[in-house]
Amino acid sequence: MEVAINKGRFSFRGGVHPADRKELAQDQAILPGPIPSQLVVPLSQHIGQVCRPLVKKGQLVQQGELIADQDAYVSAPVHAPMAGKVKEVSLQPHPVLGRCMAVVIEVDQNSVGQADQPQLPADLDLAKYQPEKIRQDVRNAGLVGMGGAGFPTHVKLDPNPNRPHDTLIVNGCECEPYITCDYRLMVERPLKVVVGALLAAKAWGSRQIYIAIEDNKPKAIQSISNAIRAIGVEGRIEVAVLPTRYPQGGERQLIRAVTGRIVPTGGIPPMIGVLVLNVATASAIADAVVWSRPLTHRIVTVTGSAVARPANLEVPIGTPVGQLIDHCSLKHAAARVVLGGPMMGIAIADPNTPIIKTTNAIVVLGDHELRMGQQGPCIRCGRCVDACPEGLNPSLLARTVQQYAWDLAKDNFITACIECGCCSYVCPAGIELAGYIKTGKAFLARQTSKKT
Amino acid sequence: MLTGLRVSHAPHIGHGLSIRRVMLDVVIGLIPAMVAALVLFRHRAALVILVSVGSGLATELACNLLRGRGRPWESLGDLSAVVTGIILAFSLPPALPLWAVAIGAVFAIAIGKVVFGGLGANIFNPAMVGRSFLTACFGTLMTTWTVPATLDPNMPTVSPAVAVDARTQATPLAWAKQAWKARSDPQQAGQLKDKVTVHIRRSLLGEKAGCLGETGSLWLILGGIYLLLRRTITIHIPAAVLASAFVFSGLVYLFHPAGAINPFVHLCSGGLLLGAFFIATDPVTAPITTKGRWLFGAGVGGLTILIRVFGEYPEGVMYAVLLMNAVSPLIDRLCRAVPLGGRPSV
Repeated sequence: MEVAINKGRFSFRGGVHPADRKELAQDQAILPGPIPSQLVVPLSQHIGQVCRPLVKKGQLVQQGELIADQDAYVSAPVHAPMAGKVKEVSLQPHPVLGRCMAVVIEVDQNSVGQADQPQLPADLDLAKYQPEKIRQDVRNAGLVGMGGAGFPTHVKLDPNPNRPHDTLIVNGCECEPYITCDYRLMVERPLKVVVGALLAAKAWGSRQIYIAIEDNKPKAIQSISNAIRAIGVEGRIEVAVLPTRYPQGGERQLIRAVTGRIVPTGGIPPMIGVLVLNVATASAIADAVVWSRPLTHRIVTVTGSAVARPANLEVPIGTPVGQLIDHCSLKHAAARVVLGGPMMGIAIADPNTPIIKTTNAIVVLGDHELRMGQQGPCIRCGRCVDACPEGLNPSLLARTVQQYAWDLAKDNFITACIECGCCSYVCPAGIELAGYIKTGKAFLARQTSKKT
Repeated sequence: MLTGLRVSHAPHIGHGLSIRRVMLDVVIGLIPAMVAALVLFRHRAALVILVSVGSGLATELACNLLRGRGRPWESLGDLSAVVTGIILAFSLPPALPLWAVAIGAVFAIAIGKVVFGGLGANIFNPAMVGRSFLTACFGTLMTTWTVPATLDPNMPTVSPAVAVDARTQATPLAWAKQAWKARSDPQQAGQLKDKVTVHIRRSLLGEKAGCLGETGSLWLILGGIYLLLRRTITIHIPAAVLASAFVFSGLVYLFHPAGAINPFVHLCSGGLLLGAFFIATDPVTAPITTKGRWLFGAGVGGLTILIRVFGEYPEGVMYAVLLMNAVSPLIDRLCRAVPLGGRPSV
């Protein structure tokens, strides 16, 4: 039976077409990263409650040992990525939060064994894994959404009996420029992605599975289709080939493009019976359930025009960003180091910032690639309105934030912004539209949490 | 090499488009009509355009100095004053004395733009503000039209002071107005309408009396297509202006075939094409929403025909644009964006 290829029946509005620059790293096979002397493992690498450390200064830890946990439902435990000695538990730089408590581990250089990659057998018996067991294994492995948001995966896989749960979308769009880690994963380890998708669908209880891939990745489409055929699940999994456009991989845009359904403003995908998981998360689910391996390593793309040897590295969580950049060498001075893609990623100033579960790429940009720094007057050209995939008016929203007009901001649905950055990307005046809107959203969120 | 890293909000890359480039595209779009104007009105056209752009730039510089801005010449680089200057020149009679051109440009930039806070903050199209000031002050000068040099080689020597009927000429729209007023007398109206028809055949290339840059329909459409291809403007406003002008003039034509001129004639006479592609599309003074742009364009087209047919002036693009500019914030409010996921339930 042929693998059903679903060519974007639907589409989403707006969006932009940045140069994808994936040629820099897309042909670099996944390699083990350098062995760091020290790991900084933050206690919060997810959305939800911060974990409590379970280890003390001076304590020896084994690879994969639980080092921090938390009883709260929305949370994910943290494991030691490598064997070593706990140097301290202290405030350390964090890519998203700025500063966060972290367990610092001095890596035991004698017992360094790179995580091996056991191949999955294609005739794996999935029937023996029960939904409850899958969710438990996923939680114990400390899985979070690896596409960037970091929402604890076991929470997502817990079906709400009052809501439909019929469609699982595995997101392999990787619409951000430069990043290729998901692409390499789909090309090199497609079985894991497919098995992970099947396990997730079983845990969550959905019948239909789509693996969504943009049409600029024909090798990944081929590789995933072959894996689906090898396992013999052609009837259950469809490959959705979508046009290359940013933010095709945005959850709300993806659901629109694959199923034609629209997630209500302020709502979440399960409200309309859809669950979206990143391909890296699906692969980690396979690791967690089939081998009970906790999430200790992840694939990180080190790329950018300033990088001499772009690479896709499988590195232990907690590896300092600076060390990975040194490993790949710089061609010329770096103007900005971005964790994540250049559209939504976070620029860091401290090269000691560690890789966390959600860090998919290090993009080192040269001065010439950066968006202009100077902001001019808005000429109301409307390019931001046309580019906004959520149908908002970014120019107006940015102005409401500049003027602290919070009621007007709410009236114009500032909270519906998905922070994709298309507005700032197209603005001919160089206005930090997305920056203003994010600032306003953060302010309003703080205001709301104070009231309650 | 990892020192001195700068941080900023995402996104870190951009499309690379600048305001300067947007304005430069508008200037490029105006070039075909400018070349036509230089052929039709010779050195008069060059002088009017140069004086208009020059005094516009000088006014902006002077205003920046008065406002105590650091680097006062910086805002000139965005080329918006150049665009205003050219469009103002295009909307003036070729024989207008140069001192009047300069007054118009000074008023356009100073009162039309800078007093509101500069580029992006003005409510009304600056070029149309300047032109309306000239119309109010120098009514006769603003309605004295010369025959293009390609029709009468003596054209360049004509000045309003020595204007004689042989060398100046009414515009087709002025005849159309007379025809409308004479609609009770079908014979007279018919003669006037024939005059319009004769001249309108020349309007493709611009060989008729009229404002400097608005006579050649073909050149304006060429420039408009360039702007559309460059995505400097969107199709909404020009399409809405032309469609609504066509519909309204068509209705008038249907009910008063004796006095009214053909709707196609309306489309390619006066400043309608210049207005549709270059004036009403000024982003600063037009609505930002797509729906709003349709409404705005429809309003400009409709008001133009209303003024042309029932108003006292033969031409109405300028006032139509200014009136719609005044309501464009209201239109944007009316067409407020609803997010893709619908209004939130809470």
